[in-house]
Formats: sequence, C-alpha cells, structure tokens
Amino acid sequence: MTGGYDERCAADLANVGEGRDLSREDRAWLARVVTGAVRPNRDKPLWDLAHALAALAALTGARDGRDLVTLALDPGLARADQVETRLAGAQARGTAAVDGRGPTLRDGAEGWRTTWAGLARLLALAEFVLTAEDLAQFAAVTGWLDELAAAPDAEGAAQLGRRLARHLAAYRTAHLPLAPLERRFRAILGFLDGRRAFTDDDILDFWRAAMSGDDRPGFRTVAEHFVTFEAASSLLGGLEGLAAPASLDAAEGWEERLDASLADLAAAEPSETLAVLLAELPEGPKILTGAERDDLADLLRLEPFHRTRPLTTLRATSFGRVQSGLANRLRRGGGGAGIAERVACAEAEPYGALAERVAALSAHLDRMLRIAAALRVPADAEDLAPEVRSTLAAALADIRRVRRAGFDDPDRLAAGFAAADAALLRLAEEAGRLARAIAGLARQRPLDSAFAADRDVFARTFADAYAAEATA
Amino acid sequence: MSDEAARLLAEIHAARALVRASAPSHGQRAATRPGHAALWAHATREPGAPVDLAVVRAIRDDSGTARRYRALLAGQAVAHAPLAVAAADGQVASRRVGAFALAILAATEDAPPLLVLTGGEARPPRLIEAMLGDETVRLGLPPPVDGAILVALDPAVPEAVRLGAMLGDPACAVFLL
Repeated sequence: MTGGYDERCAADLANVGEGRDLSREDRAWLARVVTGAVRPNRDKPLWDLAHALAALAALTGARDGRDLVTLALDPGLARADQVETRLAGAQARGTAAVDGRGPTLRDGAEGWRTTWAGLARLLALAEFVLTAEDLAQFAAVTGWLDELAAAPDAEGAAQLGRRLARHLAAYRTAHLPLAPLERRFRAILGFLDGRRAFTDDDILDFWRAAMSGDDRPGFRTVAEHFVTFEAASSLLGGLEGLAAPASLDAAEGWEERLDASLADLAAAEPSETLAVLLAELPEGPKILTGAERDDLADLLRLEPFHRTRPLTTLRATSFGRVQSGLANRLRRGGGGAGIAERVACAEAEPYGALAERVAALSAHLDRMLRIAAALRVPADAEDLAPEVRSTLAAALADIRRVRRAGFDDPDRLAAGFAAADAALLRLAEEAGRLARAIAGLARQRPLDSAFAADRDVFARTFADAYAAEATA
Repeated sequence: MSDEAARLLAEIHAARALVRASAPSHGQRAATRPGHAALWAHATREPGAPVDLAVVRAIRDDSGTARRYRALLAGQAVAHAPLAVAAADGQVASRRVGAFALAILAATEDAPPLLVLTGGEARPPRLIEAMLGDETVRLGLPPPVDGAILVALDPAVPEAVRLGAMLGDPACAVFLL
C-alpha cells in the first residue's frame, strides 16, 4: 500500500509498538488515532489522554512533568493487567479516584472515566506524542505536562487536550499527506455513484480515467484503494445513516458501532502478515529463492483480491510491472527499453504464463511443507497411519532431490525449516487459494483471450498517458 | 457526505498501510538501539547509580541515540547549554547555562576548586551533567545557599575533577537537571 504517510511517521509508530510490545489491536488503534480515523471526533483520544494524565498525576502525586513522562514511557504499563496492578489500590486524591474498572476524574456533572485497558492504550499514545519526530517535540510536551502536574484537574486536562490536538494536527500536516488519498477516494465514490459493489472492470475503467489526469496513478495503487473501499464499504452505510437527520434516534449507539468497525478495519489489515512472513523467512536453506519471494509478494500484495478478484491480481502483476518499469524509466531519464517500446506492453507477462508460475509456486510450497513435516515428525514415531508414514518417508527422500543451497546440510535444514514452519503453512495456503481462483477464472474465460484484450486496453491507455514522453 | 466519506476512507487507508509498515521486526533493531524507556531511565538516573552499559555504549557510538538522549535531557533540564557557547579557544572560567551563571573558582593552597552556580528563577537544579565528546559526567548538586549553589571539586573524587576539567572546555555541553 502506498501513500498517506512518510518514513518518519512509520518509524515513530514502530518505536512505540516495539518498545511496549503492543498487540496488533493496540498498534492498529494507535495508527488510527495518528491518521485521524476516529469518529465522530478525531480529537477525542487526545482529550481522553489529557484527562488520563491528569488523573494519573493526581493519583500518583506526580511532582512535575518528569514523573508523568516516567509513567508514559514505562513499558511495564503497556497492558491493562499491568496498569491495574500498579494503580488499582491508589487512594482518591483531588478530583481523581479509581473504581473497579479504571481511573476517574471529576469534571462538572458528567465526570470522565476510562478502563484499565483504555488507560494502557492512552499511555501508548502518550509515548507517541512525547517521542514523535524522534523526540523533536519532547521538551515542549514535557513543559505542558509540568503545567498539568501543577494543577491536575479537569481544567488543566482541557487545556492539555487542546494543546495535544493542535500538536497532533501539526504532526499530520507534516507527516501524513492524506489529501491525494482523499481526492482519489472522492473520485472513486463519484465514479461508483452510490454503488457499493464493483467489478474487476470497474477498477480498470476507473484507473483508465485517472490516467488521463496529471498524476497517472499506478494500476496497483488504484487497486489498493479499492481494497480499502471494499473493506470499508459497510462503514459507509453507517456514515450515511449518520448524515440523514431523520435517523438520529435510530442511530442510537452508532458511535460505538462506528468505532468498533473502524477498529476491525485497521486491525484486520491483512497483507501485513503475508509481507512480514515473506520478509522474515530465515536465511538458512533456500526454501524460496529471491525471485520466488518477489513473485509471492507481488501476487499476494492486494490481499484479499488474490482470493476474490484473480483478474485484478493478474492485471496488477502483469501490467503493474510494465507501469512501474515506465515510471522508473521516466524517473531515471533513461535505461532499458524506450518509452514507446514499453507502452506497447510487449514485455507484459501473459496470464497463462503467470498462472503456470502460480501453480508451480503453489506446488513448490506444498513440497516444502511436506519436507517441513517430515523433518518435524520422526519417521519411527508411534501411532502413525501407514499412509502418513510413507508420505513422510517420501518427503525425507525427496530432500536429496532438491537442488538448492542448504539442502545438503541436515542440521541447518532442520533448523531452517523449524523457523519457517508457520510462515510456510500460511504462504502455501494463500498461494493455493490464488491458484484455485485463477483456475476458476480460466473456466469462465480463456486466459489467453483475456490477456490479449487487456493488453490492448493497457497499451492504449499507456500510449495516451505517456504520449508526450514517447515521442520526446 | 462524499467529502466526509472520502476523508474517512483516506484516513483508514493510511492507518492500514501504517499498521503494515510499522510491524515489529522481531527485535532486530531493538537490539541495536535502546528504547525510549531505557534512555529515559539513563537520563533520570541518580549520580553514582548503576548504569546500563549497553545504553552508555549506544549513546557513545550511535549519533542518533546520542541526539535522542540529549533531547531527553533537555526536556527535563532546568537549563541547558547543549553545545559550545563560547567560541573562545582555551579554558573558560565561567559560562552561561540558560538563566544560570556557572563559574569555577581556582583552587587555593588550602581549598579545592569551587563550582559556583547562580541565577535562575525556576526550581534549583538537583544535578549537573556535562558531556564532552564521548565523555559524560553527572554529579549531584546541594541545595542553594543564599541563591548560590556551591560545589567543592574535591581532588579525591575523580568525577569532580573531570567535571571541573570538562566545564573548562568551551565545547562541553551542560545540562542542569
């Protein structure tokens, strides 16, 4: 997925996530707060954070901002149970107290409260605002915490909440270029004209229209936007209901529902695991070559489309490569085939060839899985069914036929496979699903003719979009 | 409606991408760079308390870690002079650190050199940390007497001797904590 954040932002989030060993859900929550994907009010978490810090300052008798920083940076307060253990026995002080569920702060008639789990998350957010931009704003934020520690009440919290909201808004302006994403989604919404469902050809048509604009987005980039659109489309229903004034009563509890859906969406961002799995395959025996890893990363990058939209997956892989070749060539100002030659898509990999490669990858991964099982389960283990035993024996014998680095060293091989087991299982499963999805597509429509038709479309679109450069 | 929807879609798209981009790298980097908590513990340690040698090493060897450590010091400092204040060559006997004036009175026959710290409206500093090149010295400060903090740089205490020598170098960074 591309765009919407810079390296600094990814590193700031990674630092907090790693330091606190945050769960996937908490990392997703933090990412949402940072990008602003929180409704109805994207500043609400900062308001909560300011109140949580006020309550903490009062309950722990913090003398100054330093004491609050110590609490915020403590990885021993990263989880609800840890926070509860540390604070559940705290005496009520000033306007702050704790009850069985978490800390509270008196604030007018309403009062503010959160749970232990909520407090643990808010402390992760505190670490983020303190340490963002590699600590460039640390002194400023610590100064605000000094003021809060001097007056840890609702008024001090409100003041801090406003400051933090401005602080994060400035951070977003500097590190989260969301405007181009927003423009593209507005265009997609306009293109679909109220529809929620879309087809592979809708993605292609939208991309073709976008290619006549100035920014000439990658087909793959456009497809990534449709992945998000599809994942979020149920959410849009909630937003519409919200916009209709008549339904205010009917929308009782919508805040929680909307927030829950947003949380699911961010945490369920699925390709992460596949990309991480590929990146973390051990270096030992060459279970997958570099080219095989690149292929898998390319093919599975639009998850879940490799299961549900094999045609878009094929298009993105085959013509996406042509387009990134074009973009690279334009950026470098030379190298390799010329623009006019590239736009003709002569180098595009035919879908039939891609399908064969997917099938070969899938078969290879299955073979590696059998070897992994054989290395894990001793052939003389008891209670093995005879057919299982013979499968394992065959897999063990198969090792000798694998002509790859590291397969001739039994110790290294066993260690390498043990480390790769879980990743292999998941990759094999996903590659198999892609292979089946492509086979299903091929039954409806011969891949050769689909490719020929698509090549005409892509070549024409490229030729128009890159006409100036092609003749230059 | 479509503007609000487009904004939310953009935010959620970026959030999903960020969740992926910030995925844990199984501690490969954590092993080489101390985390915020470890650096903060080091920045707030009491003088003479045991130190985490890995953190000390990282501050010495990695300029990024050193920068982050200085940011943590600066954030809690009553006053600091992060880099060379005086352009002069040679030894300096006095310098300004924020609102404070820092002077070293030379030793006499029967008394060691004296560090004198005056000024400052805020709370008096409890600690002084001097950083010069790879070297760091941290010393506790007594409460002020009549507005001045006086520290005898006892020749029998190696840290005190080093502190005196480092503070004389204009390139020495000073944090009053």
